Amino acid sequence: MESANRIPVASSAIPASTLLVRAGRLQSTGFALFSGAVIWGIVIGARNGATAAAVVATVVLVACGLFLDRMRARGQSAAQGAAAAFLEGTEFLGREVLPVWGAHIENSRQQMESAIASLTQRFAAIVDRLDQTLRASNQGGDQGLAVAFEHSSNELRGVLDSLTAAMASNGAMHAEVQQLGRFVDELQQMAAEVANIAAQTNLLAINAAIEAAHAGAEGRGFAVLAQEVRKLSAMSGEMGRRMAEKVSVIGAAIGAARANAETSVQREAASALASDGAINNVLSRFRQVTEAMEASSDVMKQESAGIQSEIVEALVQLQFQDRVSQRMTHVRHNIERLPTLLADSRERFDRSGMLVPIDAKALLGELEGSYAMADERATHGAGAPSSAAAPASKLEEVTFF
Amino acid sequence: MAKTIMIVDDSASLRQVVGISLRSAGYDVLEGCDGVDALKKLAGQKVHLIISDVNMPNMDGITLVKEIKKLAAYKFTPIVMLTTESADGKKAEGQAAGAKAWMLKPFNPPQLLNVVQKLVLP
Repeated sequence: MESANRIPVASSAIPASTLLVRAGRLQSTGFALFSGAVIWGIVIGARNGATAAAVVATVVLVACGLFLDRMRARGQSAAQGAAAAFLEGTEFLGREVLPVWGAHIENSRQQMESAIASLTQRFAAIVDRLDQTLRASNQGGDQGLAVAFEHSSNELRGVLDSLTAAMASNGAMHAEVQQLGRFVDELQQMAAEVANIAAQTNLLAINAAIEAAHAGAEGRGFAVLAQEVRKLSAMSGEMGRRMAEKVSVIGAAIGAARANAETSVQREAASALASDGAINNVLSRFRQVTEAMEASSDVMKQESAGIQSEIVEALVQLQFQDRVSQRMTHVRHNIERLPTLLADSRERFDRSGMLVPIDAKALLGELEGSYAMADERATHGAGAPSSAAAPASKLEEVTFF
Repeated sequence: MAKTIMIVDDSASLRQVVGISLRSAGYDVLEGCDGVDALKKLAGQKVHLIISDVNMPNMDGITLVKEIKKLAAYKFTPIVMLTTESADGKKAEGQAAGAKAWMLKPFNPPQLLNVVQKLVLP
């Protein structure tokens, strides 16, 4: 699996340490062959009577060969040390640096999420308060105000109607009192007639007594009767006089009541007229106030609708945090994979002496596989952010299943 | 009586945005931060609709839909996937699991309410 994912350079190249060893061996073998050839020539020359100087030169050549062999071994060791140091550095990068990068990304993501959550909460509070204000406005103002106005107007009209009805009732009572006055006049006339009848009866009784006296003894009984009639006549006259007195008193009382009723009716009429004017004035002023409040309420409603629209747009835009957070999480997870890969590379070198680069293609594939958003994939394909790859505020369609 | 809608998302701000939209329309809102939390908070109570993200820790949205559909009490509860996930394959998984709609983020609150009104249980 790992060998399949290697970058081609790694699979075709021989590890650096192996190259150094092989090169050293080739160099050493060549030098030994050269030295052997020189020695063989010297030995042949000596046999032929060559000088001692030639032997010395041979010794020097052998010494040079040994010196170069030692230098090659030192170079090979230095190269291996450098490779180990390089791997140690990259492992340190994975172990110490990358987690710090990841921590910074995660911390930034958390801070952003916390800030956006707080901001959203404040928007929620604004929306709530706006709703409450609008509800209160709808209850107290506009329709509520118009209803209150109509209600008050009706009540005041009702009071005025009651006043008018009471006035009409008083007028009827006044008419009745006037009717009573006419009855009193009739009663007085009847009392006078009773007194007149009594006076005539008395006169008739006197005449009857006189005629009885002319009749002598036969008219004595009739004289008694005439006497009784005179008494009745006197009593009727007295009754008629008393009736006339009482009727006169009643008539005076009724007259006073009629005068009072007339005054009351006039005052009530004036009062009703004044009340009607006052009520109309109050209603007129109230109407002006309510109209002004209605206009104000309309403006407030329009403004509130505008603010709500702005808030809706803000709520859409605030969702950028979710998208950015996902991108940061995907990148962080990919970064978090690196330390393990670097440590594996180091372990492989320690174990086999082979330098194998980390599998960057597989790492990139993992990152691509973690994407959820179309613009993430677009960015990945483009290799850098672009206007086409960042439609953060574009609203998408809904799919119903 | 107000209807109850559950929103499941690992982003607190997203839950709040959805919550504002739903509460302003008169719904009661239950919140869950992932699939496991959502199942715990359902706890047998009446829910008229569930809105869930897809990519979440502990239990993702597709698994959550499958688990919910196993519960007799929520077998017919409509579920809307609200996600940034745009891959057709994932969408098909959601449909197969039993989701009723797939809505991509960022969402417009009136648009979300429109979807909710179409699907919410009576």
